Amino acid sequence: MHWMILFIVGFCLAINLDAAAAHVGLACSSCHRQGGSASDPAARSSRAGGCVVCHQGHERIFDHAMGQRSGEKQFVQRSYGRFDSAFWDKNCNSCHLKGCLDCHGERGLAKPSVAVCQRCHNGYYTGWDYSGRAPREDNMRYQRGISVNGGTFLKMLPDVHYSAGMTCGACHSMKSLADGRKSSKGCRDCHKPDLKVLEHRIPAHLQRLECYACHSAWAPQEYGTFFLRFREQRLKDDFDLKPGPSPEYLRSAYLKKQDAPPLGINSRGKVSPIRPMFIAYYTDIMTAKNNGPENTLLAAEWRAYFPHTVQRGSVTCEGCHDNPTRFLFEPESQRIYNLEKDGMGLKSFWLQSGQRVSNGSFMDAARYLRMSSKTPAYTKAYVEKWKTFLNRVENSSRP
Amino acid sequence: MYFRTAGHGKIHIILLLLLCLPIFISGCQRGVKQSSCVRCHKGIEHVSKTHGDCVSCHGGKPLEKVKEKAHQGVFGIANPEYIGRWENGCAPCHRYQFERMKSNLMYTAAGMIRNTQLTWEGEDGNSYTTHGEKQFDAAGKPFSPKPVAELDNLSGELYRKFCARCHVGAETTGVYAASHASGCAACHFPWNNEGVYAGNDKTMKGKAGHSASHAMTSLPDVNVCTRCHNRSGRIAFSYQGLYDGNNSLVPTRRGEGGPVMASGARNLTHITPDVHFAAGMECIDCHTSRDVMGDGFAYRNMYLQTEVACEDCHGGAREVPRYREISRENDEALRESRNYKRPASFGMKMIQTSKGRNYSNVFYQDNAVWVAGKKSGKLHRSKVITGTPEHNVAGHERLECYSCHSRAVPQCYGCHTTYDKSQDGYDFIKGADTPGAFSETEDYRMLHPFPLALNQRGRISPVTPGCQTFINVIEPDGTQSKTEYVAKFKGKQQLRFAPFYSHNTSKKAVGCAECHGNPAFLGFGQHVVAGNSITGTLICERSDSKPLDGFLTMKNGRVNAYSAITRENARTLNGAEVKRVLSVNLCLPCHEKARDPIYRKGINLRALDDTLHRRLLSGH
Repeated sequence: MHWMILFIVGFCLAINLDAAAAHVGLACSSCHRQGGSASDPAARSSRAGGCVVCHQGHERIFDHAMGQRSGEKQFVQRSYGRFDSAFWDKNCNSCHLKGCLDCHGERGLAKPSVAVCQRCHNGYYTGWDYSGRAPREDNMRYQRGISVNGGTFLKMLPDVHYSAGMTCGACHSMKSLADGRKSSKGCRDCHKPDLKVLEHRIPAHLQRLECYACHSAWAPQEYGTFFLRFREQRLKDDFDLKPGPSPEYLRSAYLKKQDAPPLGINSRGKVSPIRPMFIAYYTDIMTAKNNGPENTLLAAEWRAYFPHTVQRGSVTCEGCHDNPTRFLFEPESQRIYNLEKDGMGLKSFWLQSGQRVSNGSFMDAARYLRMSSKTPAYTKAYVEKWKTFLNRVENSSRP
Repeated sequence: MYFRTAGHGKIHIILLLLLCLPIFISGCQRGVKQSSCVRCHKGIEHVSKTHGDCVSCHGGKPLEKVKEKAHQGVFGIANPEYIGRWENGCAPCHRYQFERMKSNLMYTAAGMIRNTQLTWEGEDGNSYTTHGEKQFDAAGKPFSPKPVAELDNLSGELYRKFCARCHVGAETTGVYAASHASGCAACHFPWNNEGVYAGNDKTMKGKAGHSASHAMTSLPDVNVCTRCHNRSGRIAFSYQGLYDGNNSLVPTRRGEGGPVMASGARNLTHITPDVHFAAGMECIDCHTSRDVMGDGFAYRNMYLQTEVACEDCHGGAREVPRYREISRENDEALRESRNYKRPASFGMKMIQTSKGRNYSNVFYQDNAVWVAGKKSGKLHRSKVITGTPEHNVAGHERLECYSCHSRAVPQCYGCHTTYDKSQDGYDFIKGADTPGAFSETEDYRMLHPFPLALNQRGRISPVTPGCQTFINVIEPDGTQSKTEYVAKFKGKQQLRFAPFYSHNTSKKAVGCAECHGNPAFLGFGQHVVAGNSITGTLICERSDSKPLDGFLTMKNGRVNAYSAITRENARTLNGAEVKRVLSVNLCLPCHEKARDPIYRKGINLRALDDTLHRRLLSGH
């Protein structure tokens, strides 16, 4: 296994060097074929006319998520766009592909490094987590430490693949992106579940769960995303929050977490991590000051997704089987945050009522009850799991 | 006979009342007929029924008609923090309370100063208090601590510039929702959030730095306590169901930060309150006057001064609450409860505190323990848990009640403190700007789950960062001489956690599987379990392997502890204890409830190998 990872890493490095070298011998006109507005051979506007001569079909990346960002646009349209039709341009438009060089223009033509991908895939968006970064709270008291990609971060355990030196491209090939697929490799393309691991011997786990439902060690979760609109800059003085791309807006969150994420069902019908994206609120400060509406709940949407925080280990059995909150069935006796009293329009973030998964569904109650019942098979496996673990825990500790 | 004389008695009473009428209506200036005080301060509220003329509390010259002359000799008029203000104003009548206050930790701040020392440079062999007054220790021996003004190092600077505002000898003004008077008035006069007088005296109306009304509140409510107890442990917030979490300033209220604002431009959101608060209990319904005003002896830390304990009212696993009948007319409970809505009376069986003294509002009657709201008079029946199976779990005798019965435990991870010598900062003790200003940033805040460790009583208790201080020092020339430095504690560089009762008590305890099955409760922080290793996922910036939100790691079955638990004899759980806690998971899937008889005498793991268990576990 270790050797295989080293091989992949070496291979990635080798082909990266090749990418730059491959263009050295080419005549200028091989790439710079046209003049005028199409003079940039890598520009999206010309559908990368200079590049696709050789890299045929790669221009199709502009038609998919990174080029179109249609999912996000649709979300904005049905949420913040209802109050500000220019919201997208003001707050979201900094991250979309303008050409091949966005990703391949680092120190000559090259395959993108992790850092290059993270120019866009940072903050709450998958990518930063791969290097062990979670967004900090928005108040300036918490905005401390090193800043990368325009943001400070909490130091988290990086993904094992990142620690082994693998770049994003190892799983997200250019071809897969051009084809509109999320990745070129799934977990099981490289990993065969080891049946010596007790959890892997439970058929339901392998059949019904994404690998990363268990192996995602943590995930950034933002509960209650607020966009505050300031029509007068002086009104911002009392809000000591991190400035965003638009001077007209400040962003804040009711609560941020970065522990093991809740679970739901993804579009493949498998159990997968889910996270709020977004439980969105809007306040126009000027309107609110004149007794108008504020903290308007625009959407309470979750998305099934793959946090890039893979570890060999996972949570313990009760982390799922005895944890109704993780499936948004929070018992009232365990409730801490009193959203109703804060006028948040939801009883709890961890109750399904009033919320939805935009690309999947929440787990239904009957299934959770089945899953959490202590059947003989569960009990047997549970006891075996803890026995194995405890047999290998030493009695002494090092102070 | 009685009825015959009743008519004459009535006439006598009416005559007496008429004779006394001028005294009653003169109120504040009682006994000083020509007092000029109320000529200017017209409409000022009567301080209380029992307080006399203005000068007896305030000093001054009541016969002078010119303001400047009349105010000559007013106690502390130039310096509200002058101890003579309450020594001359309050102590002549309240000597007993005044003398106790002089040793009270809320006045001396000895605990805060010592803890600050331990966090930074360590102890230097001296005891320090805010003013350095002579005291008597818990054994009654006199000693003379030094004034904190003489603590000439970073600890002293930090205390004086960051912490000194919250001791009852200091007046705090201009701080939203945290302004208070100095001395006795800090707790016994009602201040509003703005710290502005809002009563009927037109000369004072709208003036900052005064209580909202001149009518004193002999029994402080929860808002009074919150004016100070809203930082560090934040117990007054947690008690009321408020959380100053991440300073997100949302949801907004009328276009401003919200939903509730607190001092320091912090916003508060609502969480489930403490079960006692929800029942209508104030802080003083549990805390005795000796807790909050001291008992005349100087203690090193508040946990030594405090005498209330959960077990006093709820009983322990094996011992019921203790009571003592009021059989003397000078019983402290009788005197203390005079202002209560429901005063104690002779013959009542008063419940005793952990130090064996009588509560003045908790009593035993009709086979039950009752707590009477001191202000409200409301009676609360206290559930006694003694002898219940779920409170007699073998091994749990080492647990503090609030290890299981806490819901939210505020935990502030990563306190990054910068001491900038190129800037001036206000020294609240010296009363002047001096070189050196402090500022803070923070990493992360959370409420649940919370780690447990052994406290100074050898009991397992929630712990919270106390503190995870990372020190940065900027020299006068702008160079940085210390960067994210972790100070030494007990001889080595390490972060610290402190035993802590968050005051967010929940009737429903943390579930057995929730605690035993989640190593975060043992101090591993948020984590993953792989093989026989437990790895933290939120990592300290100064290390690649140590979690920020915990103090234990397990690598290949071996437990490593690397943060200190403050207080004497306190420590993290060791490897054997961690193993024992996790071993309970072998029983929990079948024996889910704490009242299951197998937990009475300690679990026998060998039972898993007997015929019955093997048959059950094989599913046959």
